[in-house]
Amino acid sequence: MIRSLLLAGLFSAGLSAAALAQSHPPHAQPGELEVDPYTVSDANAGADPIEDADVFVAFGGEAGIARVVDGLLERVREDERIEGIFRASDWPRLRRTLIEQFCYILGGPCTYTGRDMASVHRDHGITTREFNALVENLQDAMDAEGIPFALQNRLLARLAPMHRDVVTR
Amino acid sequence: MMRLLSLLAALLVSGQAAAEDVTVRVTTPAGEPVAHAVVSLPGALPASPADVVHEMAQEDLRFDPFVLVVPQGAEVVFPNRDRVRHHVYSFARDNAFELELYGREQERSVVFDAQGNVPIGCNIHDNMIAYIRVVDTPHAVVTNADGVAVLEGVAAGPVTVWHPYANAENNRLVLDAPADGSTLDVTLDVHGRR
Ligand code: HEM
Repeated sequence: MIRSLLLAGLFSAGLSAAALAQSHPPHAQPGELEVDPYTVSDANAGADPIEDADVFVAFGGEAGIARVVDGLLERVREDERIEGIFRASDWPRLRRTLIEQFCYILGGPCTYTGRDMASVHRDHGITTREFNALVENLQDAMDAEGIPFALQNRLLARLAPMHRDVVTR
Repeated sequence: MMRLLSLLAALLVSGQAAAEDVTVRVTTPAGEPVAHAVVSLPGALPASPADVVHEMAQEDLRFDPFVLVVPQGAEVVFPNRDRVRHHVYSFARDNAFELELYGREQERSVVFDAQGNVPIGCNIHDNMIAYIRVVDTPHAVVTNADGVAVLEGVAAGPVTVWHPYANAENNRLVLDAPADGSTLDVTLDVHGRR
């Protein structure tokens, strides 16, 4: 009797967890487009975190990183060299996952829940020229936030190797 | 059973067809139906193009349809239903074109003025391949999954069966039209398929 009650309890707990997972899948947040399921892992961020805690502070913490990402996305939207690639993008998701990714890589208390760099960029046919254009926009966004050059380069050094996963043409 | 049913259906269709309707069924030598074959009979094009929307869509990194037949002078729209950009092009001698289509871009079109075959590809996605066949007749239909094409209201004349992968001169066979109301069975050897 007790056993079957326990079992029933476990069963309903399992059910409601499943129902919850369905209404809020970890892959996409409310307000974002659906995505095909994938395995969530910090490894998807494509770089290990910087261990020097000063870097995260110098970027202004999560709020400062959010401002850098907003500055980057604003610039991308207006950059005729690359804006076309993003016309059908899910901007809320892109903003959220970029903030997570930069925060994680900069040693902040964040986990990255987005997809890995190779699978998310593969079908976009991105060229080296386009990659460099995006990096320029990121540098401008960091300049606008007053982030020292040496610290900008700490982040860029982690992002640069992603070239091989992002650029396919 | 399904085979029998579709055979029956085909018989019924051909039995009911008016004298000037032509039914063509294309199969491989092994008896497999050949979809995506263009079946055409001669005829005069109207002075101004018919008010039909021809479409070569891109969806899930594929062209849809794989084979499209249009009359000379037709306008074909190229809606991109993907969220990634496509760079659609053809090197066809008289119908060369190039379209950079951003994600979800739906409005762009190309007018095909010259008769002939227009193999199309995507510069970004090498696996995307399709064919547009531009013909100088209003009587042209692409075979369905059963390998069947029905042409309605045609005058007598030779039947041309074309497929991009046909093992035949110029990828086509030219045959006599069937006797009134009967189905023309065509054996076409095709390599590869989609
Ligand atoms: C090191 C450089 C880059 C990083 C760190 C990066 C990061 C990201 C991240 C985190 C996502 C979202 C992942 C997800 O949705 O799960 C993403 C998506 C995307 N990225 Fe990048 N990216 C980089 C370079 C580029 C470049 C150079 C371009 C084009 C010029 C580009 C275009 C896109 C596009 C179009 C998407 C998809 C947006 C969507 O489908 O909604 N990325 N990127």
